[in-house]
Amino acid sequence: MPPSLCANCQTTRAVIIRPKNRQKLCKTCFLTIFETEVHETITSSSLFHRSERVAIGASGGKDSTVLASVLKTLNERYDYGLQLCLLSIDEGIKGYRDDSLETVKRNAVQYDMPLEIVGYGELYGWTMDQVVAQVGKKGNCTYCGVFRRQALDRGAARLGIKHVVTGHNADDVAETVMMNLLRGDLPRLSRGTSIVTDSGASEIKRSKPLKYAYEKEIVLYAHHKKLDYFSTECIYSPEAFRGSARTLIKDLEKIRPSSILDIVKSGEDMALLVPPEVNGGTKKPAAAAVAEDDTPGGCGSQNGRSSGGEMAELEKKLAEDETAASRETEIQLPAAAPKKKTKNPDKSRTPKQVKVQSMGKCERCGYISSQKICKACSLLEGLNKNRPKTAIEVGVGMEDEESSSTLMRQMEQVQLTSG
Amino acid sequence: MPAKELANPCVDCGDAEFVVDVRSRRLCKPCFERYVSLKVLRRIENYRRPKSVPKGQPYKLLLPLSFGLSSSVMLHAVNAQLERQLSKPYPMVGFEVHVLVIEPSSISPSSASAESRFDLLQKTFPRHSYKMLPFHSIYEYEPTIQDIMTQFAGEEFVDDASLSHKERLDAFRASIATATSKADVDQVLLNRLIVAYAKELNCDAILWGDSDSRLAAKTLANVAKGRGSALTWQVSDGKSPSGFEFNFPLRDLFQAELHSYANLIPELMAIIVPDEPPSDNTLTKNLSIDELMMRYVQTHGEKYPGVMANVTRTANKLQPAAVSAKARRCAFCDAFMGDSDEKSEFCYACARSRPDLAC
Repeated sequence: MPPSLCANCQTTRAVIIRPKNRQKLCKTCFLTIFETEVHETITSSSLFHRSERVAIGASGGKDSTVLASVLKTLNERYDYGLQLCLLSIDEGIKGYRDDSLETVKRNAVQYDMPLEIVGYGELYGWTMDQVVAQVGKKGNCTYCGVFRRQALDRGAARLGIKHVVTGHNADDVAETVMMNLLRGDLPRLSRGTSIVTDSGASEIKRSKPLKYAYEKEIVLYAHHKKLDYFSTECIYSPEAFRGSARTLIKDLEKIRPSSILDIVKSGEDMALLVPPEVNGGTKKPAAAAVAEDDTPGGCGSQNGRSSGGEMAELEKKLAEDETAASRETEIQLPAAAPKKKTKNPDKSRTPKQVKVQSMGKCERCGYISSQKICKACSLLEGLNKNRPKTAIEVGVGMEDEESSSTLMRQMEQVQLTSG
Repeated sequence: MPAKELANPCVDCGDAEFVVDVRSRRLCKPCFERYVSLKVLRRIENYRRPKSVPKGQPYKLLLPLSFGLSSSVMLHAVNAQLERQLSKPYPMVGFEVHVLVIEPSSISPSSASAESRFDLLQKTFPRHSYKMLPFHSIYEYEPTIQDIMTQFAGEEFVDDASLSHKERLDAFRASIATATSKADVDQVLLNRLIVAYAKELNCDAILWGDSDSRLAAKTLANVAKGRGSALTWQVSDGKSPSGFEFNFPLRDLFQAELHSYANLIPELMAIIVPDEPPSDNTLTKNLSIDELMMRYVQTHGEKYPGVMANVTRTANKLQPAAVSAKARRCAFCDAFMGDSDEKSEFCYACARSRPDLAC
């Protein structure tokens, strides 16, 4: 079979089949097209203004490394006039973050960008390793997610920067749309797809310039540009956490590659149909409560994913609601139906309005919060309360874990030999 | 002293042994039938009394029936309600039902002819009017569809007007490339035929027989196909772009519940054509998105029925966008198009299913 030529330039041999539309391209054309598409995303949504200082949330992973590389290229090519810098969060996870931070440090040199590292340890007095030792592996992603959001904001504030860009890609956004549908989470459905999430409450605006870029193409870009990135997933993200949405998106991509973009498009369209009272009274997808509200997704790579446990929990809650509802109708059967209709929307409306109105600052740390004390501070309170005990407990916990894993290994051996 | 001891009495009436376990409540046959019919009737509450203008006229409702489980159960439940209304000393009938069957063998050649089933249907529920149309009658009811199809299919496809309607439709459907696009295009055409017939009959509304599980799958599939903005009429009750009220009276019932219902009623079982069990050896990539989502909802629905039901409820909370009378509509699927869709006659999602763009 003769080698096919690049569909774009018709001169060089095609070496890449674009995951997005199965177009055959040569390396140079692929890189240019990828960059141009990001450029179009940036210009069509007027993401930046001249001489803006922008911090790139850099984890050392493929998404943020590609983002940094592409932004640097575009900034020079199209003369955006941006001042770019890298902002990294050190969660304090040995064997994962310390290695990936080395990557970011190299990136800073390669791209000639200043780098700022903000550590959980210095901000909160707790590294993630310490948190995990205290709360266990289950549920620690909540802490990490809450802490990260604030840490990014604080890091940006320290640098005097008002705009943080993150490496969320089209797959992430599509996953979030599906997940929020499965969760029945309308407020998040309404704002999950918007490219910029800024709010009146926070000074710092967030955006995702790679929103329309396929994860697979990001990997291809990183590969062909020979970018230096770190590809290990967080050691605390267990397999079980890979939720339904993720699998579903992968299957959909196999059936129809465009479906990732189609989901993003649906998500954007649906965001406009979310009733205003749900998304906080503004016509535009609201971001007012973002700072606090966006947390259970956990860390960037986990964004929108959910464990089976979460699904089971929701199921239980819904079943309880339903039995409660059926009891209610039974008692007032004759006039129940019409009455309920008017009653229900009110119920769901009231707490949301209250939430938006009471947006203020955390009493302890001054971070925006709808409560008196922000989520990070209340999580910290829980952690700190138990601190004295922790030292002892940690020791026991570690031992326990070790012995159990030894036991597990022994079991495996038994199975192997018997098999 | 109780007359007789029941081992497992129905939790509602306590007078009979339970026959089905519905959402952790054990019900006897009459109570279960009441449960199903209440859920259906709550959804068609608006048609309980005749129209106020013109006074006393019953609503005309079109009920498309596929001989599948859901639409057949719906007809049974709606029929039972009409019988109840008519048995009252001063009957006040709020609506009349017109049943439309699109001949299954004209949609899929593997389906058997439905003639005898259609006769049986009319004998079982004699109170309603019936019509059976072949799929290709869309050329009669929607004369403009010929041009739209030619445009939609692109240059590769040549419409041969000398062929019979059936052959022309088959040729058009054959020009659509992937399983997803085929299913999508068929769905759009069937919808159009049904709506066109409803228009001809001057109906007030269409009762779609989608169960909760189907609606959940349809929600996810529509989102995955870029039809997110169509959810407000494809899944929610409300006005469709064509101006008809779309109602989904089975939206609160799971497929499993419809199964239990049909199993209790022998005359219904005689009408229903059972679904083909999904074959396990089909590769995911050869499925259509609609099939994938139906499977997804079915497998997850066993463990988390509430979560799946919640998907439908969530979609139902979306509010239709305010559109002006002049708003452009997709030439193919009839959905409203945003301003951004340039000059194309077809909406974003329909464009995805076009042969030249298929990927």
